[in-house]
Amino acid sequence: MAGKIVLCRCEDMTLADLEHSVGRGYKDIEEVKRYTGFGTGPCQGKECLAVVATQLARLCKQPPATVPPFTSRPPLAPTPLKLLARDPGAHRFDDDPGDD
Amino acid sequence: MYIAGVARRLSGHDGVRGDAVEVRIADTTVRAFTDESIAAAALASGVRVLSRSLKYHRPRTFFCLEGHCSGCLVRLGGVPNLRACQAPCTAGAEVVGQNAFPSAEVDLLGAVDFLFSRGLDHHTLMTSSSVLNKLANKVVRQLSGLGKLPDHAVASLPEVQRYDVDVCVIGGGPAGLEAATATARAGRSTVVVDDQLRPGGSMRTDPRTGRQLAEATWQAAASSGVAVLARSTAIGFFPEDDGGVLAVSAPDRLYRVYAKQWIWATGGYAVNLPFGDNDRPGVIAARAVGRLLVDHGIVAGDRVVVIEVPEVTEDATALSGALAAAGADVHRVALHSVVSVKGRSWVSGVVTDRQKLECDIVAVAAIPAPASEGPRQQGCKVVLDPPAGGFKVVVDELGRTTTPNVWACGDVCGYLGPAAAAADGARVGANVIANF
Repeated sequence: MAGKIVLCRCEDMTLADLEHSVGRGYKDIEEVKRYTGFGTGPCQGKECLAVVATQLARLCKQPPATVPPFTSRPPLAPTPLKLLARDPGAHRFDDDPGDD
Repeated sequence: MYIAGVARRLSGHDGVRGDAVEVRIADTTVRAFTDESIAAAALASGVRVLSRSLKYHRPRTFFCLEGHCSGCLVRLGGVPNLRACQAPCTAGAEVVGQNAFPSAEVDLLGAVDFLFSRGLDHHTLMTSSSVLNKLANKVVRQLSGLGKLPDHAVASLPEVQRYDVDVCVIGGGPAGLEAATATARAGRSTVVVDDQLRPGGSMRTDPRTGRQLAEATWQAAASSGVAVLARSTAIGFFPEDDGGVLAVSAPDRLYRVYAKQWIWATGGYAVNLPFGDNDRPGVIAARAVGRLLVDHGIVAGDRVVVIEVPEVTEDATALSGALAAAGADVHRVALHSVVSVKGRSWVSGVVTDRQKLECDIVAVAAIPAPASEGPRQQGCKVVLDPPAGGFKVVVDELGRTTTPNVWACGDVCGYLGPAAAAADGARVGANVIANF
């Protein structure tokens, strides 16, 4: 038996998982992310996003340029929370009692 | 996993390794050098499996050696989830694996990989019975999660420092250093943010450029007045904050960077290719094999199989030649002919549609994927272009992105390779000055 073909090593997401996702109708890159968990690990898609998007275009017979990336959000890399603890921006909500 | 005598340090490189130190990796004392990362020292010393994967508990170690993948997350000095490839070898450093019971080498939880050899759909795992579901949740919670909490609470909080500058360049590889040198020489205050142990980017991975050119380019930038922040990562752009601030995490502080012009030169990420068991330890990026050789003077293995795609044939040829010159036996195979790799805790061979090749290391030569998620946070348009490596930043003929005052150059706009990326960086740096 052939071994697993891993597309996202952070979340152990395989090519078979992507095919399963597409087969169930989850074909949008954000849907695939939510269904399989790919791109949600420590690398946040650095290793897998381009690979999964390219395979998704192939499976769905779509031109690659029509496949968007998923949303990029901070932090771009694993960050110890202590780095943010003294950031003045982090206390903004304390200054404005109307904003919770 | 301890296999002595596969990777070896080249004697001609001894002058630039830094000082000899001893570090503890997975309860083994190993000889290392201060200019080596923990990951490089582990490989050179025969320590292999550093971690386990999240779901199937498959064995893991480094893949990219660039601080971007999740392969080498370890517990270092009582702190979890640190990348062994971005941790320098300091005397007395103590590293243990994580996500495993009882150890990364012998992880009993790895049974899940065999039990669910055809895959595990967590959406429907034992959801038919509420009793079974409760049990399954308990098991899943044991299996999942990353590391354990640190041994100690932090003693002091890092500083936060505001940094105002004319030009902020993100990425200290060939493109970024050349762009920054151009803007600094024109009299604009310039900072380069680079996340690696030492700036130089892909120059440190390619035998055609190499460590010396990386050092020289870095020094040229510094002597032109560029402030180079090493081991500093751009972690996010916040447009709503005073016209836009880039948060940069450094080892001892958080920088809030405010710039008039931004240049993204983040290059590309080393990525894997699809073939059976492509996540096995010992299957590593060709660029990582190159980094070990040209930056660390370490031959990753004496029997190397390069799995490649046609777009990077020249790169693979250069790396293969350099490995052969260092005494390694190199076989090159095209991705489309590869079925799977052999070996569990460490790769032992490659099965193609014609033959089985034995090896110590598999070098994956894929097109680097543009590191474009930072530009995406600044609203820059990207487009998926597989021959360019992935989601490349869209730029005009001058290097302008679709966002005002935001530029991009080098591999982040589509893979070029170190020499062409350097030229692109110099060109775009000049255009930034001409349009200031």
